[in-house]
Formats: sequence, C-alpha cells, structure tokens
Amino acid sequence: MQLTPDQDIVLRLGDFSLNATVVNTWIVMAVLVGGSLLVTRNLRPDVPPNRWRTLLETIVQMIQSQIGEITQTSARHVMYFAGTLFLFIALSNLLLVVPGFSPPTSSLSTTVALAISVLCAVPLFGIASGGLGRYLRHFIEPSVVMLPFNVISEFSRGISLAIRLYGNIMSGAVIAAILLGVAPFFFPVVMDMLGLLTGLIQAYIFAILATVYISSATAADPPSNAEDTP
Amino acid sequence: MSIDWITVIAQIANFLVLVWLLKRFLYKPILNGIDAREAEIARRMNEAGAAREKAEAAEQTFQTQTTRLQSERDAAVAEALKATESERDSLLAEARDRLAREQKEQQTQLERERRKFVARMQQAGTQTLVELTRKALHELADDTLEAATVRHVMAQLVTRADDLVRAAGSERTAVATTREPLPEPLQAQLRTAMGQHLPDFTLRFATDPDQSPGLVLQVGGAQLSWTVDSYAEALQALLDDRLPNAGSSRGGALHDR
Repeated sequence: MQLTPDQDIVLRLGDFSLNATVVNTWIVMAVLVGGSLLVTRNLRPDVPPNRWRTLLETIVQMIQSQIGEITQTSARHVMYFAGTLFLFIALSNLLLVVPGFSPPTSSLSTTVALAISVLCAVPLFGIASGGLGRYLRHFIEPSVVMLPFNVISEFSRGISLAIRLYGNIMSGAVIAAILLGVAPFFFPVVMDMLGLLTGLIQAYIFAILATVYISSATAADPPSNAEDTP
Repeated sequence: MSIDWITVIAQIANFLVLVWLLKRFLYKPILNGIDAREAEIARRMNEAGAAREKAEAAEQTFQTQTTRLQSERDAAVAEALKATESERDSLLAEARDRLAREQKEQQTQLERERRKFVARMQQAGTQTLVELTRKALHELADDTLEAATVRHVMAQLVTRADDLVRAAGSERTAVATTREPLPEPLQAQLRTAMGQHLPDFTLRFATDPDQSPGLVLQVGGAQLSWTVDSYAEALQALLDDRLPNAGSSRGGALHDR
C-alpha cells in the first residue's frame, strides 16, 4: 500500500521520472484554469452572467469576503495567494472521489511545498507591506529574549500546516483504502463523503491560516489565538 | 512518510504558476467584471435617476402646461360664450328691429291699400249713386240730375239770400261751377233766380273737371251747393258706422292676395 503518490511513477525518461503527484497537480491546475477560461472567455459588463459565471463570482466573492474580514483590507494580492491555496486544495480533495485519482494533497511533498510557499509568502507580504525593518522587528517583540521563540513559532507554523493537511487527506485516503478491503460496498462511500467534507474543511483552514499569518505579518496589531483553529 | 524534495520544488513551481494563471484567468476577469458590472449598474442607476428627474420635470411641465391650457381653454370658451351671447342678442335685436320695421312697413302698405280701396269704393259708390239718382229721377219724375240740382240750389238761394249778401261784402260776382257745362235752359233758370233774389250780382258759369257732379254757387266767401261728394261722404260715414272694418278687411283681403 502506497501512502503517498510520490512513489507512483507515471512517466520515466532516463534519469527524469514524473510521479503521480505532479501529474495529478497538473490535472487539478488544468481543471481550474480551463474552467476559468471557459467561464470568463466572454466576460462583458453588458452581458448577463450565466450560472457558471455566477458560481465563480460567488466563490471569488466569498473568498474575497473571508479574506477581507481577516485582513480588514481589500488587498487583492493576498486573495490571489490564499484563494489559489483554497481552490487548489479544495479541488484536489474533491477529486478524491474520482476512482484511481490520488489527490496531490495526500502527498507530503505537496503539503510541504504549500507550507513552504506560505512560509515564504508571509515575510514577502510583510516586507512588501511595511518594509524589511518592520518585519524583522516583530521577531524581537516584545523583547529580544523572544527572538528564538518567534523564529521557532514562525517555522512551526509551516510545519503544522503541512503535517495537518497531509495527515487529514492521507489518513482519509488510507482509511478508505482499508475499508475498501474490509467492506467494499458501504464503508468506502461513507468514508468518501466524509473525506469530501474533511477535504473542504481542510482547504478552508489552510487558506484561512495562511491569510492569518500574512495578515499578522502585514498588520500593525496581529490577531491573537490564530493557532487555536483546528 | 517521506518527502521528495524534487517533487516539493516542482509543486512549489506548480503552485506559483497556478497562482499566476488563476490571477490572470480567474480573479482579475471575475473581479474586473464585477467592478465593471457594478460601475455599469451605478451608471445605469445614475442614468435612471437622471431620467427619472427629467421625467418628473417633464411631468411637472406637462401638468403646468395642461393647467395653463385648460385655463386658457376655459377662458376661451367663456369668451366665446360671451361673444356668442352678445352676437345672439345683437342678432335678436336686429331681427326684432327688422321685424318691427317690416311690420310697420306692412301696416303702412296695408293702410295705403286700404285707403286706395276706400277711395276706389268711394269713387265707385259716387258713380253708382249718380247713375242711380239719374235713373231714379228719369224714371220717377222724368227729370234730370242737373235740373234737380239747379232747383235745389235755387231753393237754397231763396232761403239764404240775405246771408249770401252779407257774406259777399263788396264782392258782386257770383260763380256757378259744374263738372260738365250746364245746359243753357238751366243756366237761364239760375240766372233768373239770381236776378230775383240777388239782383246786384253778376252770375258767371265755370266748369271744373275735378269737381264732383253737382253745382256749386260761390258768392264771395259763401257758397251754395249740391254735389254728389256730400252724399258720397255721407255714404262713407254710413258704411264706416255700420261696417267699421269693411275698408280694413277689404284692404287686408287685397293685401293677402
């Protein structure tokens, strides 16, 4: 039993091998970008929106609203980043129901990559928002003694993000695989339904936490109890 | 559980590419479309507001014009009614005047015709009277009207000789006027009577075609006479007494024809 799709090699060209994680990621990317292209290809203000455009507008406005509530600003670049995190993770987790499809998020490499992206994005957004000095200053607040703890806290965020997402998605897939062997007709369906719900919740949590981290780096007064979220 | 760092790097690259792609093909078009639609809605709302204000202003103008036109129409109707009444009164007055004038003219014409009719009837009555008198005298007394007339005047001359002398004053000529020349024997009889009762007077005979049949003896300012006119006038008075509307009825009948 494979716990991660990284070990599933889809294509091998000499020393270069292409595993299922990357291929499935491309599939998710293709679905997202292709759907967006199809919906937004004929976008004019004088044309009434169809149901797909309305769906996308609802999703985008929901993301914008959630991010706006957290950051108290209407910064679009945060939405581009956090929204893409949510859409990618959500769609990957939803595709769990497709037989033979291993969600990229069930790969620790993917979740680590996403966590690293968040870890890199937080200082970048913070520096872009208030400058390098202000960003570095928050590591020694409230005193210089807190510097190692703040650094550890900064990295532990990324690690917790990565492990949380990986654990939830991988465990769902593993449990579904185990139950498929035990009771092949009933439990996998229930577990898949549960996996869909868990996947959406995890996507929401991952995106929200990323937004909170970015917001804490860009805002003057970072919100408290950010880590209390499941 | 292992981490394939090459896959991690590839996934980071994939994710960054996905961020760019979704920014390019999803977020920007959707958000710009929403903004454009909101701007379009705001523009249309503004246009609708402006159109509404314009419509309200037009409605106000229309109501003002309607009120003004209605008042003008009412004034015009009132003025037309007043003019019509004035014209009606004028026409009625003119019609009444014309009717009164025509009635007056009609009455005048009627009176004129009545007078003509009376005159003709009087003339005819006179002529008839003369002829009847002549016929009666001829049949009953074998006499003529002229002889009877002369005898009547001669009888008056006997009774009124003194009055005639006083009325004549210094005038000493008497004139006997008839319509037709008086026969010579009758002239002689009258001359003889004048010689007996008015010896100082000279008698002269004259004719007057306009005079009524009969004899008029003029002595100064007095006269003795017998003419048919006096009888005709008496006949007319009698007719007027007995048939007061005869002339009018006859005239009206003539007028009606």
